[in-house]
Amino acid sequence: MESLWSKLSAALPINEEQFPLQFSDKVESSVVEMLTRSRHQLYSTTRSNNQTLYAQVVLDISWERLNTGTWRDVDKDWRRLYSYGCLFKVAALCRESPSEHEILQAVRTCDMGLLMGAAVMDNILQVFVRILQSEIRKTTKEETDYVEAKRMKIVVPRVPPIKEELAVERIKCPSLESFNTKYLVPLKPVILEGIIDHWPALNNRPWSLEYLRSVAGCRTVPVEVGSRYTDEDWSQTLLTINEFIDKYILEKVQDSQSGERAVGYLAQHQLFDQIPELKEDIRIPDYCCLGEGDEDDITVNAWFGPTGTVSPLHQDPQQNFLAQVVGSKYVRLYSPEDTDKLYPHQSQLLHNTSQVEVENPDSERFPKFVRAPYLECVLQPGDVLFIPVKHWHYVRSLDVSFSVSFWWS
Amino acid sequence: MSWFGFGFNAFGQICVQEKSVQEETSDAVGEVKVSVPVELRSHVDHSCCLKTCQIRASWSRRACLHESRCVWLAGFSASSISNDTRGCRDAIISESHLTLAFPDRIESWDVQRKDKTPLWSMEIIPQSESSGVNLPLVPGGYIASKPPIFRSLAPHLQAKSLALGGDHVILLTAPGAVYSWGLGSHGQLGHGGLVSEEEPRTVEALWGVPMSSVAAGGWHSVCISGGDLYVWGWNESGQLGLPSRGLQKAPQQKKAQPTELSDVSTPEEEPHDGDKHEEVFISIQAFPALLDVNPSSDFQRASCGSRHTAAVTTSGCLFTWGWGEYGQLGHQTFNSLDEPRRVEFFKAKDLHVVDVVCGPWNTFTAAVKKGVLDLKNT
Repeated sequence: MESLWSKLSAALPINEEQFPLQFSDKVESSVVEMLTRSRHQLYSTTRSNNQTLYAQVVLDISWERLNTGTWRDVDKDWRRLYSYGCLFKVAALCRESPSEHEILQAVRTCDMGLLMGAAVMDNILQVFVRILQSEIRKTTKEETDYVEAKRMKIVVPRVPPIKEELAVERIKCPSLESFNTKYLVPLKPVILEGIIDHWPALNNRPWSLEYLRSVAGCRTVPVEVGSRYTDEDWSQTLLTINEFIDKYILEKVQDSQSGERAVGYLAQHQLFDQIPELKEDIRIPDYCCLGEGDEDDITVNAWFGPTGTVSPLHQDPQQNFLAQVVGSKYVRLYSPEDTDKLYPHQSQLLHNTSQVEVENPDSERFPKFVRAPYLECVLQPGDVLFIPVKHWHYVRSLDVSFSVSFWWS
Repeated sequence: MSWFGFGFNAFGQICVQEKSVQEETSDAVGEVKVSVPVELRSHVDHSCCLKTCQIRASWSRRACLHESRCVWLAGFSASSISNDTRGCRDAIISESHLTLAFPDRIESWDVQRKDKTPLWSMEIIPQSESSGVNLPLVPGGYIASKPPIFRSLAPHLQAKSLALGGDHVILLTAPGAVYSWGLGSHGQLGHGGLVSEEEPRTVEALWGVPMSSVAAGGWHSVCISGGDLYVWGWNESGQLGLPSRGLQKAPQQKKAQPTELSDVSTPEEEPHDGDKHEEVFISIQAFPALLDVNPSSDFQRASCGSRHTAAVTTSGCLFTWGWGEYGQLGHQTFNSLDEPRRVEFFKAKDLHVVDVVCGPWNTFTAAVKKGVLDLKNT
């Protein structure tokens, strides 16, 4: 029986000489020296405690560089360096009969590299995490704890009644031409029905909490904590999908004494790049081909959270297909023509976000808001909402919800 | 006077072990993390280090300035650097450059290459013995850690001393005012926001309080006035000495996880409620804050590493706080601290600490035997 380490090392170059460590001049030779020592240990037969230490040094120094300046300006080499650090750390953790805890740590390490680093050696961290996940599935017995589905709080959502004259139009499987002429060109919102019925996520591999746990429960993802991103106490944290479901969807863990439940939202995250198994369950809508860019230019984001997640009224610089897979969401849309009645923030950071709380507007501070015309809808599983570019939108989840958005031009 | 070092030592910049048979690396190394302060020794001449009057440290190296006006290097490829440093008055070292101040000139060398000539140099009018160049300040400006090496400074600023942080600069002027510029993303400029500044800007919150010294770390800044410490910037590892969310309160409760990964977290400007004790945690302190130290102390010198801070009191005690993963706090653990703690090692050995210099991940202190100090003072 092949050991975990032999499977992992099979994915690595055969010897030290074949293991690439190429960096620009920006990476100081002392840092490269650390990597060289780590690489040497990887192939050395003598086991050394320093393997973990050297990996930590590489991670710590690249972490510091990643936090220098703005994220956009960070030299790609530092992100690659961080990924190498993750690689060496995984090797150190899994070298000798790792415990389940160590394997989970190794998965988390791969995720940190996938989230913060840049792909190295043909995206080796992706290869590693797949090997590690299959190891976990082997060793842990399937928890038949899915009584949790029954334990979920029955929350009666505040479903706003949709006024017929304000309802977003619905159309079933329009032709490309028809969609283009009636909605894309005139930039008119519409709900497309029946266009994602073929998705495995709605078919043979239906998404549920149990399914997500089984496919990606031990994977670490970024979670937004706080009622809305315009709030002062909004923050981001990293949790495994299991932890996120337990804490924020099922509320198994009571974290605050005051009883105020904090909202956690796995929002605006390119989950499908990180977890390719889930990518297999969705498809890019055909209508995206009406745009100018390539398929590679389409940004696909996951939005997974409990009841009551709120995305404040804001606009995006691209066309958007918002596909509803699990649960339902209330969405309100305002035209860019009415921007003057929506009081966007002045700051550079938030100028695409309105100051108004859509379902509880302050009519003294924002008197024109109540006169702004809008469209509204409740998205159900199987619906795809077309949000034209720059169209203001406000979203509130009505129950446990999983949406997938496609940003295209 | 002896120098001690503790913290990051992967390149032997604090101390080296005897080369063992199994050691395959070309650089002689000691432990990667030194948690118990070690007295610095030179492998050239044992008494050599006793005549060290100043230390400078980069991530992978240590530079010693000798009374004899020489500079010795230890650490990564130290042996391959062969500059003639006789007559050198002052030096600063970054990961890529070594800058030396001689009576008649200043030279900056690329430490990664074996050049015959310095990367940059500047002639200066020979100063008298007492007044010297105060690196990184040079006539007309200062030496930066990365190119362009020389940056000019307006004369009206009356620059007295300058501290280079990770990506920011803190300047102390002759009248005792503080200016800051550079990256502001983590509040390290002290102007109350997260905006970066290209030109020197007064830290207005400190106006009227004359500062005597300044120090800058990776993303934080420290200054001293009349024995009081002021801190501002990023507090993710407790380097400001203010409550930090990421740290466990009781060191013994913290599980041994020396390989804990750091996460990139979104900075929060406002303190917000903690989980258990309704404590207020501070992630970023964008305005200077006066640090409360227990027991109350008179600080005379401070230095900042990448994510830790060290300060010496007039009574010869060393306090450290912040990131401690490599033993750089000197408390003989690898825990980080979000409140200043005295380093007992020196007190226990009856050593009076007189100076402290931090490298990014380590700390060097100068100390004299208490008896000697008393003798000197009589």
